[in-house]
Amino acid sequence: MSATVSSTYRNVGKGLPRRDGEEKVRGLAAYADDIPVPDGWHGWVVRSPVSRGRLKKLNFDPAFDWSRVCVVTPEDIPGENVVDMVGRDMPFIAHDWIQFKGEPIALVAAPTRALAREAASHITPEIEEQPAILTLREVVDQFQRDPKSLHEMVAQTISKGSVEQGFAEADVVVEGEYWSGHQEQLYIEPQGMVAFPEPDGGIFIQGSLQCPYYVAPELIVTLNLPLEKIRVKQTAVGGGFGGKEDFPTLIAGYCALLAMKCGKPVKIIFDRNQDILYTTKRHPSWVRHRTGLKRDGTITAMKVDFLLDGGAYTTLSPVVLYRGILHSTLGYKCPHVYVDGHVYRTNTFPNGAFRGFGAPQAIWALESHMDRCAHKLSMAPEAFRLHNALRLGDTTATGQTIAEAMGTPTVLENTLAHSQFVEKQKRCSRGDPKADCWYGIGLSFFAHGAGFTGDGESRLKAKAALDLEILHDGEPGINIRISSTEMGQGTFTIMPQIAADGLAIPLDRVCCPHPDTKYVPDSGPTVASRTTMIVGSTVFDAARKLKTQLEAYASETFFGGAPTELNNGLFKNTYTSVSLPFERVAKQLIAEKGPQRVYHQFQLPASLKWDQKTFKGDSYPSYSWGCNVAEVEVNPLTLEIKVLRITSTWDIGRVINPVLAKGQVEGGLTQALGYAVMEKMGIKNGVFDANRMQTYVVPTSMDVPEMDIHFVEYPYTHTALGAKGVGEVSMDGLAPSVANAVEAATGVRLTEIPITPEKLWEKLRETASSAI
Amino acid sequence: MKTVIRTWIVNGKKYTVEFPPMRRLLDVIRETLGLKGTKEGCGEGECGACSILLNHEPVTSCLIAAGQVPDGAEILTIEGLELTHEGQELQRMYVAKGAAQCGFCIPGMLVASYAHVTGDHPDNSDAALREAHAGNICRCTGYAKIIEAVSAAAERLSHEDEDDDT
Ligand code: FES
Ligand code: FES
Repeated sequence: MSATVSSTYRNVGKGLPRRDGEEKVRGLAAYADDIPVPDGWHGWVVRSPVSRGRLKKLNFDPAFDWSRVCVVTPEDIPGENVVDMVGRDMPFIAHDWIQFKGEPIALVAAPTRALAREAASHITPEIEEQPAILTLREVVDQFQRDPKSLHEMVAQTISKGSVEQGFAEADVVVEGEYWSGHQEQLYIEPQGMVAFPEPDGGIFIQGSLQCPYYVAPELIVTLNLPLEKIRVKQTAVGGGFGGKEDFPTLIAGYCALLAMKCGKPVKIIFDRNQDILYTTKRHPSWVRHRTGLKRDGTITAMKVDFLLDGGAYTTLSPVVLYRGILHSTLGYKCPHVYVDGHVYRTNTFPNGAFRGFGAPQAIWALESHMDRCAHKLSMAPEAFRLHNALRLGDTTATGQTIAEAMGTPTVLENTLAHSQFVEKQKRCSRGDPKADCWYGIGLSFFAHGAGFTGDGESRLKAKAALDLEILHDGEPGINIRISSTEMGQGTFTIMPQIAADGLAIPLDRVCCPHPDTKYVPDSGPTVASRTTMIVGSTVFDAARKLKTQLEAYASETFFGGAPTELNNGLFKNTYTSVSLPFERVAKQLIAEKGPQRVYHQFQLPASLKWDQKTFKGDSYPSYSWGCNVAEVEVNPLTLEIKVLRITSTWDIGRVINPVLAKGQVEGGLTQALGYAVMEKMGIKNGVFDANRMQTYVVPTSMDVPEMDIHFVEYPYTHTALGAKGVGEVSMDGLAPSVANAVEAATGVRLTEIPITPEKLWEKLRETASSAI
Repeated sequence: MKTVIRTWIVNGKKYTVEFPPMRRLLDVIRETLGLKGTKEGCGEGECGACSILLNHEPVTSCLIAAGQVPDGAEILTIEGLELTHEGQELQRMYVAKGAAQCGFCIPGMLVASYAHVTGDHPDNSDAALREAHAGNICRCTGYAKIIEAVSAAAERLSHEDEDDDT
């Protein structure tokens, strides 16, 4: 199959320059804060000063002139005061209980931002404060003493075989606990949205968002408007990384509620401090592994406790938990598995989506633990992994059979070779007191479920449309109509590559405009590494459909019914040497019949079986694979940790645009580097302690090491295109390879990220004192 | 409200602007002059998205009170970069190498690149290029392609210099 399809590709597989490159380097791309808002007002959110309590009333300072501003309190909400996400436990504006510090208690709009802010400071709540639970540490303490005392948001288990039997068969049992903290997406463009009231009573929302069809339907019940009256359009987006997946519904709702009340367009652009304090983060995690092993390295049992700190409300936590537990043992064969996952409430800002979506936490724990297991058996880390890695025909914890060739264990073998892992292992310092500098090398091997969990894609029914019409340059061409957004990852470049090849027309005849719910069908959200794999394949199939229609029209209109083929931008028929360019035929068709639209809807293979209750079956349509080797240097005096080099190999299926794919990996690894060794965020007095860019430190150009990146292509066989996902897998697995390298360098294992010199110092001291 | 009036050369053209003296230069550029290419990522001098050239020196415009910028000052923003040969070369290479992803850091990043390549005897080693961009945070790219782009542009520009000499 792939051979014939490949031969038709002129654009797919090529590192073509980004479509939006020019407007971005010229400073012309219009982001949320750049679009004109004539006569617009500015919104401000009044927030709770306490972490938990009963809200008794709001006091409005009588000395303030309230006629100049617009205030929205729960009574002003036209529909239900609820954020209509996965869980429906979060009010738009708190009206009774306060569940976290910073929870909205009122909204204000005014002609200037300064006035809105001033008005907000004249609203003071009366709150009867109650005890709050603020950190994952407290949650884990209580979980071990009395889990019933905690507020559980969601729980899910995975069970395969019998872990009791697996442990009985084991020669050795290895245990370990692993912690990870909050991580901030830190897209450089802060969250921003504008809501324009429409003359027909509807609302038009424009802004920085990943998922237009999350925002629009989620606002129906709150605004009490039908879907057709809630129009959502994406502006240019300055990075999302999951941070603009669920949160934009909130800020869009604030703007819309204010705009509907004051009758003016209302804009809210967060400053950085607000953005860090009052938007979602990656869930902190605590993972406990218990693993049964045979002397020869065979894994007999894996038992995992997986806890996430959900923050104050559910948001997307169930889905994050599902992905987390599914990745907590992924990559290895094991007949007996039991995973027990929970999300518990803390009274802090709700945690939400972040690139990887539970998988980075799971893989951090798993791949640290696999090294620990190898160590316990005195096996080399790579040998232990090669011995247990899933291969064709093996089954995962949910019973899914690896039924098509994938990058396991090739990515591992490839990375070992490129990094000279085995040779370099011998150089590791392992805390040698005589060394001036400690060197270590570490490994991680992992997979990322591509697309939505289980049969999610069947329920979603992703749609794509192609409009054959006159483009902005006055010539006929195709506008791709999908709700998938461009936020830097390259959607607007790869989709035209795919559509042009599906149709066999020149690339410059295909455009991919910013999605606007007025024009695009629901292709699903731009999340879960699904855009290229699912929506790309849907666009490709839509293009094939349109190609057939165009060929039929050309045959009938120009070639007297003779079989006609569109290739390379030219219609040809089998009998004559006459050929007609695409533009000529398309122009005539549009003139005669008007613009043409074709739809296509994605379909999962019927063979995919998934039981959402028992978590048995095919947990993902396919898997991307990755392997990282990190080399580190640790200064024995200052304990400063420097990551010197990262070698990695990726199986992301067919690579549509190698330059963009590599850019995704470079960016993902850099975020993962921050997660591993730099990005530290705790809770102090109920709010994030690192609340500015000065205190939340992410990698700069000086921190990023040399990156040696390789791809191996194992196409997803269910689609003609064969792409899997690249967006998230690159974020998933660096932290454990760094921890493993730090252990090889220093002789001690750190079990909490980010790994910092302070933690290393504590651990070295602990180890030294216990050795005495 | 008290305001001040200043006349500056912005991207090669003379502009007279009026604003409250404590207004940030960034706001005057974006709101008063309407040059939206310059971005705000942090408002505290950490991210570099608001970088511009003030009298040929790169500065973070979010930290400068516009009233302190005297009459006659020369300002170059992302919109003015393409009026220069070096700016065009950098823009071309950024696009060719895939250096921009979301693009939000890019106006400031390009200003840093421009300041570097137009400086006296720029050192174009990897380490020096990384240092020259260390004040600009990019959350998307991992910097690899940005450094590659600047290096390629610098290489081409230095060949032109040689041609000029001969
Ligand atoms: S906005 Fe000025 S440095 Fe970040
Ligand atoms: S390209 Fe997105 S922040 Fe640099």
